[in-house]
Amino acid sequence: MTSNSGGDLRSAQVNAGRDRWRALNIQLWVPPLVGFGLIVVVWQLYAVHNPYVIPTVFQIVDQFRTQPSLYWHDMLVTLREAVVGASCGMAAAFLFAVLMSHVRVLERALMPLVVVLNVTPIVAIAPGLVIAFGFGFTPKYIIAGVIVFFPFLINSLVGLRSPDPEVLDVFTTLHASWWEVLWRLELPSSLPYLFAAARICLPLSLIGAVVAEFSAAGQTTGLGSLIETAASQANLKIVYASVVVLALLGVSVTFVVVMLQRRLLSWHSSSWTRSQ
Amino acid sequence: MPESDATRVSRHPAKSTNDVYATGDDGVSISGIWKTFTTRNERTVAVQDINLQIRRGQFVTIIGPSGCGKSTLLRIVAGLLSPDCGSVSIFGETVSHAAESKHIGFVPQTPALLPWRTVTENVQLPLQVNKYSTSGGDGRQSDPRELLESFGLGAVLDRRPHELSGGMQQRVAIARAFVFDPMILLMDEPFSALDEFTREAQRRGLLELWQSNQKTVLFITHSVAEAVELSDVIVVMSPQPGRIQAVIPVDLPRPRGNLVENSDPFHAVEVAIRRELRRNWNQPE
Repeated sequence: MTSNSGGDLRSAQVNAGRDRWRALNIQLWVPPLVGFGLIVVVWQLYAVHNPYVIPTVFQIVDQFRTQPSLYWHDMLVTLREAVVGASCGMAAAFLFAVLMSHVRVLERALMPLVVVLNVTPIVAIAPGLVIAFGFGFTPKYIIAGVIVFFPFLINSLVGLRSPDPEVLDVFTTLHASWWEVLWRLELPSSLPYLFAAARICLPLSLIGAVVAEFSAAGQTTGLGSLIETAASQANLKIVYASVVVLALLGVSVTFVVVMLQRRLLSWHSSSWTRSQ
Repeated sequence: MPESDATRVSRHPAKSTNDVYATGDDGVSISGIWKTFTTRNERTVAVQDINLQIRRGQFVTIIGPSGCGKSTLLRIVAGLLSPDCGSVSIFGETVSHAAESKHIGFVPQTPALLPWRTVTENVQLPLQVNKYSTSGGDGRQSDPRELLESFGLGAVLDRRPHELSGGMQQRVAIARAFVFDPMILLMDEPFSALDEFTREAQRRGLLELWQSNQKTVLFITHSVAEAVELSDVIVVMSPQPGRIQAVIPVDLPRPRGNLVENSDPFHAVEVAIRRELRRNWNQPE
């Protein structure tokens, strides 16, 4: 009887393990893979019949096989522009948010300016910045920074104001300084908002970097420049290979943010899996 | 019913300090507190001319219907609100001085724990914040882990708040207020969000702690039974405008277990409080 029930238990555990295995693999990975595969097949079929509209999948893959260093090098340039620009932009936005949330007058003074900056199309600013700052990295950093500034500022403001008033009361009765409130309460409370913003901002900064490269005509590095040069020569293979690299770059950047979020925000409900 | 010692009610005189408890001991004294809130074109007198003396080591409960200004009064004593006029002295210090030297322990209505910190780290918070001020009370601070173990939370030291029940979270919040040994504990309906059984257990736990530490406590509740079981003195407040209607001493022996709870003196105090609460219910202004 005992051994029997033990056996039942063990087989139940094995079943549970197998079920989890099945759930993890089939339900999680198959639908996106099928969807992705379908798109590749449709793409390939369309490309074979319309060679002057898009290149075939094999031509794109062939690009990476024959000249990997070209794409690798240009990818690093664009990545650097986007990441440095976004980091500066997000840091500046957070600083502004701290100032604005502590000094109401500053919020009233700065918010209209920030909104104007946000509603101005970034594409329109880029050429001017290139003229002002030249063909180096500076205008790219600025454009990538400007494009992330607004979404990160708004999320930071909401995050900094998210602590429960009663927790703030506890800090006040302890006579905590504004710095202690910021460091021990407001910053950790706003982390979920900051990560949500970062997931939007880092891909946005890639857009900024590419737009900046488009505007710097005659520049030779960066995926944006590569696309522009190739497009002017009607070289579809290079154009689409660069687009694929940009897409992969966006995916990896988002992946890094999500991984960091999982690590740092294990306390927050947003990182609990839904089945729990 | 004959008026026993326990039901002797001192009707609160309008202007003078409640001299029954002004014993010269350096307790907490609240004198002439007024607070008005203005919203758009309406002015509400939240508390009107509050005078109260709390002796060192006393457990004082404020009871009253919602809107009677009891939370406002507590927030003024905690330094979270400033009164329009009047003054609060906490063991001879102003409220802001008392807060600066961490003499005030505040337990809000919700546990208000930091979700990213473990139970132990939450209790450590008051020791980390405003670190260089002289610590509370006699300068002794408890070890957070030892304190939590004495609170019956030894098994959950490294858990996060969201993994605990409501009652346990509230106990952590109380431990956080005890850990830096403040001179006065201010508790704003700390058990109101808990179910009846948990609340009862929490009440017992708090009483045990209070008896072993003899801390001065100002406690807000809207439960008559809770007030009678816990308090040395019960302050009945009435709304619109919020003022002290009666101050009722509770001369019941401690500990007040089930035996006392079912006794006549216990009921006599309950009746006296209910009578006061009803009086103001029947005579709205």
